[in-house]
Amino acid sequence: MESIVITVTSGKGGVGKTTSTANIGCALAQLGRKVCITDGDIGLRNLDIVMGLENRIVYDSVDVVEGRCKLKQALIRDKRLESLFLLPAAQTRDKTAMNPQQMTALCDQLREDFEFILIDSPAGIEQGFQTSIAPADKVLVITNPEVSSVRDADRVIGLVESAGKGPAQLIINRIIAARVARKDMLSVEDIMEVLTSNVIGIVPEDEEILSASNRGSPVAISGKGAAAMAYRDIARRINGENLPVQMPRSGGLLHRIFGRA
Amino acid sequence: MNSFLTRFFGPRSADDAKNRLRLVLIHDRAEIPPGLLDEIKNDIIAVISRRLQIDTAHVAVNMDDEAGERRLLVDIPILQGTRPSGRLSARPPASR
Repeated sequence: MESIVITVTSGKGGVGKTTSTANIGCALAQLGRKVCITDGDIGLRNLDIVMGLENRIVYDSVDVVEGRCKLKQALIRDKRLESLFLLPAAQTRDKTAMNPQQMTALCDQLREDFEFILIDSPAGIEQGFQTSIAPADKVLVITNPEVSSVRDADRVIGLVESAGKGPAQLIINRIIAARVARKDMLSVEDIMEVLTSNVIGIVPEDEEILSASNRGSPVAISGKGAAAMAYRDIARRINGENLPVQMPRSGGLLHRIFGRA
Repeated sequence: MNSFLTRFFGPRSADDAKNRLRLVLIHDRAEIPPGLLDEIKNDIIAVISRRLQIDTAHVAVNMDDEAGERRLLVDIPILQGTRPSGRLSARPPASR
C-alpha cells in the first residue's frame, strides 16, 4: 500500500501538536483514507485522551516493539470513523523505551496497512523528537502567533532540515483575526517573513476545541466551527488537493474595535 | 496619544513581537549569544578609544541578517571637536 508517514512536531509544548494530529487524522479518515495516528510521546501520552479512546488501551507501541504483543493487538479502532486507528504510547516508560530504528521499523509495519501514518511528537528537541521524526516522509511544524513558539519552530525547522526531512510545512495555530487586525497579534505574514517554510494551514482560535477535548471527540469529526473547517482543509491539502491557504477573516468593524476574543 | 490609542483599540503589541522575534532569530541562527556582542562592543571601545575620543555610552554593536547574509553593524559616535589622541604616526602595537 502506498503510504506516507507524517510527523507533527513543534519544539515548544502546548501549541497544539496533539490536537492537530487528532484532527488531521480524523479529517483524513473522513476523506476515506486508511489512517493510523501514533502517539510518539512515551511517558506523557495524550493522543488517547484527545481522541476519547483512553479506556480502550490494552497494549501500546512499546509492547509491540518489545514483542509482548502483535501490532494488530495494540491498534485501537475508532468507532466513529471506521478507517481510523490509534496506536497509543506507553505511559509508564520514558523516551529511552524506543529508539529511531525501532520507530522506523514499527512504521514500516504500519505502512503495510495504512495510507497515512501520523506521529504526534513530544515537545522538545531531544531523543523523543529525534525518534518521532526518524521514519517521517513529511514533517508538520505547529506554531502559535507568539514570539516564543515561533522561535522554537525556527529551531525545529532547522533540525528537520539537517535530519534530511525538510522542507517542513508549517501550521499556524490559534490565530485570532480580530487581534491581528488591531495589530495586537503576529500576523501570518509576520510569521512567514521570519520562517522560511511553506504554510499548509492556518487554524483560528476556537472555543469548540476545548469542548471537544473535554468530551474526547475532535472537532474535525462533526464540528462546524472555524477550527474544524481549517483542519478539514489541511487534510484535503495533505490528501493531494490543490487548495489555496487562506487567512481566516476577522469579524466586522465593531468586533475589530471592541473584540477581546 | 499612545494611551488614547491603547484605551480605544487595546494594546498594539504585534510590532514589538515582530522586532523581538527578528532579533532573537538572528542570534539563534548565527549561534551567537547576545552577551557576546556586549563583549565585542567593550573590545571595540577599548581599541578605538586609544586613538579617538568616542561617545562610549552610545556605541552600538548589532547583528543584522538581510536575505541570509549576516553582518555586524557597528555605530561609534565620535565626540565633537576631538583630535586623534596618541602619536599620529604610530602604528598599532605590533602583536608578537
